[in-house]
Amino acid sequence: MSYSMEDNQNSAPGSVPATKLGGARKGTEPGLNASKRLQTELMQLMTSPAPGISAFPSADGNLLAWRATIEGPDDTPYAGLTFKLSFEFPSNYPYAPPTVLFRTPIYHPNVDFSGRICLDILKDKWTAAYNIQTVLLSLQSLLGEPNNASPLNGEAAELWDKDPALFKIKVMDRHKDIEEDE
Amino acid sequence: MPTIVAAPWQNRRRRVFQSVFQIDLSQPTPQSTPCVRFPDQGQPFGGPATTAAALAAGATATLSGSQSTILAEPSRLSYSTQPLFPSLAAVGDDQVTYDRAWHMVTARIALPPSATADDSFGTLAADSQQHPASQQASFSSDAEFYQALALVVHAPTVLPGATHTDDVVAWHAQQVRAHFAQHVIPLLSGCVDDNGDEKGNHYERHMVIVMSSVRTLEAALRLYFYGLGLLMRGFGRLVGGSSSEAAAAEAELLATRFRRDIQALVGNSASEELMKSISIVLARLAGTILGIPSVDDLGADPVAASRRPAPPTVDDFRALAARQRLHEIVEQLHNVGLAGERFQVLFAEILDSIMSKFVTRAYAGVWTASSSNTRSFSAATNTISRTPNPSSSSPCILALSDWVENHFARLSFEILSRVFPDASSSPVTLSDVRTYQSLALGRLAALRISELFDIALAWPSSQGALDDLRATITTTARRLQLTGSFSRALQTRLLHPGCSTLEILRTYIAIIRTLHALDHSKVLLGHIESSLQLYLCQREDAVRIVVTGLLASPEELRLVKKVKDTAKRQHREKAQPGLFTTPAVSRGVSRTIPSTVGRRRRDSTPDIAVQDLPDDQRVSPCSSSTLVELALILNDDPSQTRRNAGAVPDIGGADDDLDWADMGWVPDPVDADVNYKRPRSEDVVGTLISALGSEDVFIKEFASVVAGRLLGEPARFDQEMRVLDLLKRRFGEAALQNCDVMIKDVQDSKLVDGVIRRAREAQVGGGAGRAVLSTPVAGGGETKEEGETEPEYHARILSRLFWPDLDREHFLLPAPIVEYQRWYERGYEHLKSKRKLTWLNQLGQARVELELEDRTVTVDCSTVEATIIYAFQGADDGSGKPARRSVDELYNELQMDEDLIAEALSFWANKGVLKRVGQGVYDVAETIDEGGAGGAGQEPGSSAAGGASYEPDVESPRKASGAAGSSAGTLSAKEQERRAMYWQYIRGMLTNSSTSMALAQVSMMMKMLVPDGFPWSGEELQEFLGSRVANGELEVIGGKYKLVKK
Repeated sequence: MSYSMEDNQNSAPGSVPATKLGGARKGTEPGLNASKRLQTELMQLMTSPAPGISAFPSADGNLLAWRATIEGPDDTPYAGLTFKLSFEFPSNYPYAPPTVLFRTPIYHPNVDFSGRICLDILKDKWTAAYNIQTVLLSLQSLLGEPNNASPLNGEAAELWDKDPALFKIKVMDRHKDIEEDE
Repeated sequence: MPTIVAAPWQNRRRRVFQSVFQIDLSQPTPQSTPCVRFPDQGQPFGGPATTAAALAAGATATLSGSQSTILAEPSRLSYSTQPLFPSLAAVGDDQVTYDRAWHMVTARIALPPSATADDSFGTLAADSQQHPASQQASFSSDAEFYQALALVVHAPTVLPGATHTDDVVAWHAQQVRAHFAQHVIPLLSGCVDDNGDEKGNHYERHMVIVMSSVRTLEAALRLYFYGLGLLMRGFGRLVGGSSSEAAAAEAELLATRFRRDIQALVGNSASEELMKSISIVLARLAGTILGIPSVDDLGADPVAASRRPAPPTVDDFRALAARQRLHEIVEQLHNVGLAGERFQVLFAEILDSIMSKFVTRAYAGVWTASSSNTRSFSAATNTISRTPNPSSSSPCILALSDWVENHFARLSFEILSRVFPDASSSPVTLSDVRTYQSLALGRLAALRISELFDIALAWPSSQGALDDLRATITTTARRLQLTGSFSRALQTRLLHPGCSTLEILRTYIAIIRTLHALDHSKVLLGHIESSLQLYLCQREDAVRIVVTGLLASPEELRLVKKVKDTAKRQHREKAQPGLFTTPAVSRGVSRTIPSTVGRRRRDSTPDIAVQDLPDDQRVSPCSSSTLVELALILNDDPSQTRRNAGAVPDIGGADDDLDWADMGWVPDPVDADVNYKRPRSEDVVGTLISALGSEDVFIKEFASVVAGRLLGEPARFDQEMRVLDLLKRRFGEAALQNCDVMIKDVQDSKLVDGVIRRAREAQVGGGAGRAVLSTPVAGGGETKEEGETEPEYHARILSRLFWPDLDREHFLLPAPIVEYQRWYERGYEHLKSKRKLTWLNQLGQARVELELEDRTVTVDCSTVEATIIYAFQGADDGSGKPARRSVDELYNELQMDEDLIAEALSFWANKGVLKRVGQGVYDVAETIDEGGAGGAGQEPGSSAAGGASYEPDVESPRKASGAAGSSAGTLSAKEQERRAMYWQYIRGMLTNSSTSMALAQVSMMMKMLVPDGFPWSGEELQEFLGSRVANGELEVIGGKYKLVKK
């Protein structure tokens, strides 16, 4: 028996792209898992939408940046208002929380004037079990039940209890529908 | 002489020019000669007081003087100077003496002033002992010439006073050069031009050009060498006198240098046209010698034109003649100096193109391996991780090597040895021959690579070509070339909408097997198939085709096998007479090859014996509409596994990689992936399935196809069981658990069915002869009961969780059937408490026997169709009118989907049972000829009006405790669901991402975000969005879609 087949296979250096492909297939690249997870979450959001909230990746097709919409719950000062939010996902999502900002100006004890939110599950209480939908639902309930113990907006926290009427006026003053494509 | 009066700067420039180019050497007569005799020329020099300045001036004068004037001088001069000559030495004026001697010599060897025809050279050559330039040969004697030559040569010693001396040989060379440029080159171009417009034989014309050019050059060279010969003889005499060996050697050196000069001159001045002619002549002759007839040759003879080139036999007259001719021509070219570097390059190019041509013409499409080889080959494809014996080269390779060695290299040797006649070593060494062979094999490889796609299509009759490839693809570069070219071929020839999925899959199978045969490591395949896989993923029906192919019935297999067997036999018979189709082999060379192949085959027999398979399983069937190949392969597998287990002692499933006993082990290929794992076998099915995406997708599809078949004919499910077993071996038990449950459901149903039925019979009280229930499923025979036939009813009970989604179609079954369903339900609940049945009415089958006026029709149909026809029975009120129902009536009565009704009605109309009498209105066609005639001779009141007797054998599968929402409409429930989901996506997109988006953007986002891919084209999406716009949910503003604000 002759072994010339060996030569066929070993006579010259291999093709590099194939090797690279193999590496990528293993999924070691950061962000790949995040994208996959986000795609799954999107699917869930679409197949079982919760009332009053919706979210979708941004128009440039970047899966790590989302836009979301929350409708103000009834029986709160925010009833009938719509709030836009932005989500920025880290590449190790869901092992780190997304950065969530209100893009619509909002008057709320736990949101500052640049839209930053004080919510424990977006900070130290984050776990991989949370997802976009739970975050949005938490935010929606936060609108009705602010955590006045740790306000970002002290005035709002004060007014919430003392003068709901003024609070409502302030909310309406502050609220301004933003155009998406600005 | 205008230059004399030219501006001083012009003089200076000329001096610079002269300092670089020794122009004065080029003049045939020395400048000072005419000074005494021809003062009328106005030259200031001459006489004893010659100065360097004067010489320079003279040089300039002659430089600009015309050649012919100067050439004319010698005759006049020599005429008059001759008597003076002897006294010259005594005069003591060295310079003058020298000049005269010089003149004497140069006049003697001067070339003729012009040459208008070949003849002038010819005659010259004939009396070469005569003076070349004039008819007055008598005045000059050899003695004088030699004397003068001696003076010229030994000027430094004999004539110390002569300050200006020249090298006579160099002068001659210079003169020759000028003469060549002025006379020979025009002649040569004349040779080319003369024949330029001549119509007729292409090759002949060029042959004439070459021959006349060669003759011209030969004559010219004779002339030139005549002069040189004279000089040489003079030198010889001188040397004879002084008997100096060194001088002789020097003279020889001079002569050689002169010769080389001339040859370089000729070689470099050959025109493009001439070289072209030479190349055409050479190509033609070499082609004939090497067995590639030229187009001219074949001309009008189509038979000959289609013949493959083959090396000529030993006694091929034409080849011998061509060889002879070629030798002559090359020798002649060499002699006239045309066999220089340019010729060699030319010749190399010709040989190169001939080799390419030969390989392409001789072996394109010749893929058949010898029949003896086929056997070993097909066996080799089954060997696991074992290389087939590579030394068993295909006939093509053997023939090609032989051609290179015995013809190509020989020709090369012959030509080169004529071009370098004095080379010390052989111009073509053995290693050169090897190089030629590897070049030829490379070309063969390129050819095969370009053909690979067709080779794959022609599998397995193309094994010879694969042998070629395997032997020639020896470097990674070539492997890359192969994969690259094959991928391109795939793109252009297979992966486009014009090919059906079945075709693609069939080709894919062929590709898998071809490439596996080529490279057991599967690395090549891996490089190629990615694009194929991507494309297949876009074909929705791919998985289904594969699955149905796997489940192809045994009958189909038998049929295909039979077809193949016949084909194979025919093929064999056809192949019998010419054992080898390779042309080289069929001609003279063949004698050695059969024995070689035979021997090799014997060598490899030990391998084969174990692995041999029936040949017919290796042939791909092409005529069926399903992928029967897959079933064949799958059925093939177990035997293969067993064999492997036998061949390699498998110790308790030890690690495959550590098979120390595998003597055929080879390392992994270098171009393999990191995750590469050597496949154990060809594994067509596995490769195909993995190409279709994940196993899950495949198993899901398999389950749904199997579900369909299980619910289908109530036959036995041997084939399904077998395939399932085979697939289990591949995917594991767990993956196919659903299918197991499904099959078990169907089997259990039979039991349950029997039990419930017996219970029922006990209740009814032994319903008179209805007990013929030994085969609960068949039941065809009992139809001929009395009028009030009790339908035979069977059900299949499916476990909802394990069956693929089955939609529930709502409609009302005929009352008797509903009745049956009820007691069946009761029976079942009695049998298995806490379980409920949900009926899936539309999935059943029914056998319906219709008694019409003039005939009885028995039809197997679906429950839907049976329900419809039963409704016609109900419509018969015995009033004597034919039963007539409209779609609307049926819709109200049965609560069935209108489309289903329409379908069923047309089904019965096709059977000739119903006839259409108006828009959506149907009648029962009681007599067979009652087409559209409108009821001639019908007797509706007859007993047969009971017509549609809803007959036994209804099977209505249902899901246990299933609850599926029914969805009406033209779209299937799944499609509806999908559309709803897409709408969610689009709404989410337009709510959040951007309030208005263009169609392309939406499409892009959907493609990116929908997990299983977004199959819609732009048009489909546009239509969908359009429907939403119509619903008022969307609006289009500036070409962009926008959600309507509520």
